[in-house]
Amino acid sequence: MNGITLSPQQLAVAQASLSCRLFLEGVAGTGKTTAGVARMHYLLKSEIPADRLLVLTPQRTLAQPYYDALRSPDTPGGGVVTVTTIGGLARRMIDLFWPLVAEEVGFQRPADRPVFLTLETAQYYMARIVTPLIEEEGYFDATTIDRNRLYSQILDNLNKAAVVGFPPGEIGERLKGAWMGDLVQARIYDQAQACALRFRRYCLAHNLLDFSLQIAVFAEHLWEEPLCRDHLTETYTHLIFDNVEEDTPVAHDIVYSWLGTVESGLVIFDHGAGYRSFLGADPVSGHMLQDLCDEQRIFVESFVMSGSVTALGAAFDRVLRPSVPDGETAPPIGDAAPLAPAPTADSVTGNNGIRATLHFGNRRFHHQMLDWVVAEIQALVRDKDAFPGDIVVLAPFLTDSLRFSLAHRLHRVGIPVRSHRPSRALRDEPATQTLLTLAALAHPEWEILPSRYDVTDALRHAIHELDLVRAQLLAQIVYRPHRGQPELTPFDEIQPDMQQRITFVFGGRYEALRTWLAAYRTRQAAPLDHFLSRLFGEVLSQPGFGFHRDVDCGLVAAMLVESVQKFRWISADLADNRRPLGREYLEMVRQGVIAAQYLAPWQEEEQDAVLLAPAYTFLLSNRPVAYQFWLDVGGLGWWERLYQPLTHPFVLSRRWPTGKVWTDADEHALRQRGLQRLVLGLVRRCRVRVYLGLSDYSEQGFEQEGPLLGAVQQILRRFQSERGGV
Amino acid sequence: MLPESFSFSQASLQDFVACPRRFQLRYLLRLRWPAAEVEPIEEHERRMMMGRTFHQMVQQQHLGVPESRIERGASDPDLLRWWQNYCVYRPVTSFSGDAASASARSEVTLSATIARYRLVAMYDLIVVEPGKRAVILDWKTSDTRTSEAILRERMQTRIYPYLLVQVGAALNCGQLIRPEMVEMIYWFPAFPDAPARLPYDADHFSRDGAFLEQLIERIADMEEDDFCLTSDLRQCEYCIYRSFCDRGIAAGNLDDVTAAYELQEGDVEVDIDFEQIAEIEF
Ligand code: SF4
Repeated sequence: MNGITLSPQQLAVAQASLSCRLFLEGVAGTGKTTAGVARMHYLLKSEIPADRLLVLTPQRTLAQPYYDALRSPDTPGGGVVTVTTIGGLARRMIDLFWPLVAEEVGFQRPADRPVFLTLETAQYYMARIVTPLIEEEGYFDATTIDRNRLYSQILDNLNKAAVVGFPPGEIGERLKGAWMGDLVQARIYDQAQACALRFRRYCLAHNLLDFSLQIAVFAEHLWEEPLCRDHLTETYTHLIFDNVEEDTPVAHDIVYSWLGTVESGLVIFDHGAGYRSFLGADPVSGHMLQDLCDEQRIFVESFVMSGSVTALGAAFDRVLRPSVPDGETAPPIGDAAPLAPAPTADSVTGNNGIRATLHFGNRRFHHQMLDWVVAEIQALVRDKDAFPGDIVVLAPFLTDSLRFSLAHRLHRVGIPVRSHRPSRALRDEPATQTLLTLAALAHPEWEILPSRYDVTDALRHAIHELDLVRAQLLAQIVYRPHRGQPELTPFDEIQPDMQQRITFVFGGRYEALRTWLAAYRTRQAAPLDHFLSRLFGEVLSQPGFGFHRDVDCGLVAAMLVESVQKFRWISADLADNRRPLGREYLEMVRQGVIAAQYLAPWQEEEQDAVLLAPAYTFLLSNRPVAYQFWLDVGGLGWWERLYQPLTHPFVLSRRWPTGKVWTDADEHALRQRGLQRLVLGLVRRCRVRVYLGLSDYSEQGFEQEGPLLGAVQQILRRFQSERGGV
Repeated sequence: MLPESFSFSQASLQDFVACPRRFQLRYLLRLRWPAAEVEPIEEHERRMMMGRTFHQMVQQQHLGVPESRIERGASDPDLLRWWQNYCVYRPVTSFSGDAASASARSEVTLSATIARYRLVAMYDLIVVEPGKRAVILDWKTSDTRTSEAILRERMQTRIYPYLLVQVGAALNCGQLIRPEMVEMIYWFPAFPDAPARLPYDADHFSRDGAFLEQLIERIADMEEDDFCLTSDLRQCEYCIYRSFCDRGIAAGNLDDVTAAYELQEGDVEVDIDFEQIAEIEF
């Protein structure tokens, strides 16, 4: 297996009997996934047909080691292993078995094809449904959050109902049952409930399937349908399910009944994780899969942490582990699955190890802390020959400005840097704005009048090497809105002295663009994505124009075309479309409903580069590094959770008894446990050293004394007292 | 310069043969370039969708979904005609004979390592009568009936039978499939009584093996500048990169396309990823 030497424990898992169902558990970094990949190879080498093998993970990023292994030339030839998620499987099965269940589920057009919504298009429909309620009936007037967050929280409630396995009509009651404050909040929950049900009815009427409906149709109907279930259980007779603690109760239910039928199974459980709990992950139901397994194995030894990092993890565990109240046998929330017994600090290398592993930079102001981080990274790369790709900079929330400040500083000292997402949304890209402005100019019937500023910008990006001054001049002269309609006048109608200032080269290019748009206006309007494709191919990417051989512009334009196309496919045949779809798309972009999200993959990233990421995103990439920098250690962000007035990830979980009130103590325990889990998860993915970036004042200028800082101080106090106050 | 994890397919090798530069732009540099491949885009899209839906309908039928329910999904009259042709001509049974031991598998993927790289093929349907016959059925949803001579030259015709012989034993009760057992059949739903039947034998197998090995080795050894632009300018008319290569402005017309159009369906998954949810922004 690509030169990796397996430990005897890993080998035992990989080479377990071909009829064995095995439950493998352990903390991060103990080589469980490596054993899982080795198991996959062993099955293939044992002449199990590859197409009998299903590898499930809760999200694609967690399956990367399996994809990498399967792409290797060492993989035996034959069929192909299926690597997917329960969501992926649900969608495929709906596509295949739609005619069997469409009517029974309640879709009103069962003869038509199902329409799968992306997150973006689901938000669009939610916006259509909720906007009139907000504007005409005063829904959610007591909340101040951004509308798009309202939509996504309502969708999130539906997702929770589907992945936890309760009817969507119970969302409001469950939320209200746990609430004991004012009536205003209870009304918000009622309104969220009403919106969710309206959305569901709309989806059923139009064959639309958002993520929640995909899961519900699969779990409640297709999995019960013998044709579909037999197809799956007869096709896949060997199952590997990795990171089960990050998957949802309904996924666990399905695998629970599936495991009974397979020839072999390997279930891998990561102790102390469950980072996706706000997406419905349920480590408790994941751990129950061990009941179906013939054997359990626990991996204890870390292949990642040095002895001193292990000691640091133990010290954090000691100060952050929540105490269980008298009379309670398990923590009140979420992940009651057992944590592996943590080694004590002293049992590993003693406190001296911690000293070598924790490195501080305490500065007064935030920007000084960033300077310290960059200086330390520079020293690591320059003096210690560290690879930039072995360094990660983490914060609980990574704001755009923080990312920019850090990336800029690192670039300045010549250190490559990459981020978990692009710095801009699709709609903010100049190429997107250029294309959409030109689309508005080509479609006067949309009655969208771009500003002169937008037209200037579009001309500047559309015409190769046209500078801002000339673009402004050109736009000022040729852009003549007429009776509320956008108009571009010909270059040869401009005064000769102005023509000369703009130059005839640019004038010629402008004229080519203008005549192309004018010719388009004489024909019947095409779908917006087709229009954009032609504009891109026939004009903007041709020599003399701004997108010519510009691979970034090509990528942005391709993503835009794809987004518009999906939008058209989901909405083309809806009877209640009153406006041209192109105009509707532009309107939704303007409102930030569409093209506002960050869709990976964006750009090919340099791999050997310092990664800047939010802490949870890093955890779910499951890739250990040598050096971690934790920013704003004094900040509350490490402890707080997102403000979500329309939902509650824990009240809607399977662990929370309906009607039980969520108290401040529960909230405190949840946060404390979240912090413990997060910190241990990070330490377990660190090989050499953790750097703590501290500043007296946050990025926003507030003093910082959060619980993570408190934990660090406790560890240091203990360290000092155990060393006799040295 | 090829990454070790690079996988070849019939589509990528066909692209290489058509134009090395296109192969480089599409598969090595993964250049996204949203220009039109062919005009009118609307009609091309309609045919692509129809082809895709037809493949799915056949798969549904193969899995046991009642035909009457499948047929309800054929909203386009051309698609309905294809489907009805399929139901009348029943290509799976008519080409697999009525041997009780024959088994049919739809949407099978096979892969093998050739010259240090993976070569992957996705089959519409494979019918195997163990020890006797192995029939590859491929649905060609073009509106022209491509000739045997053209089909013979296509990468698909060289790769699919070859891979089946090489690594398809699991479909033949664990026994090697002999080249003589294999037949590749292209079935055209628009021309149901004119399938293209291409038998296979040991000669084809050894020639195809040597050819594929050489081709992949050649590509693997190429430097960045070796991927030259095709001299066949007609290729550029139907290529999305024509503006990138300065090879023209407007896309060629769909009605002038002579060879059958290939379907290239993407594997789309809906996942909830952290990166995709604006709400959950850490
Ligand atoms: S435009 Fe022509 S030369 Fe360029 S990649 Fe396409 S086929 Fe090759």
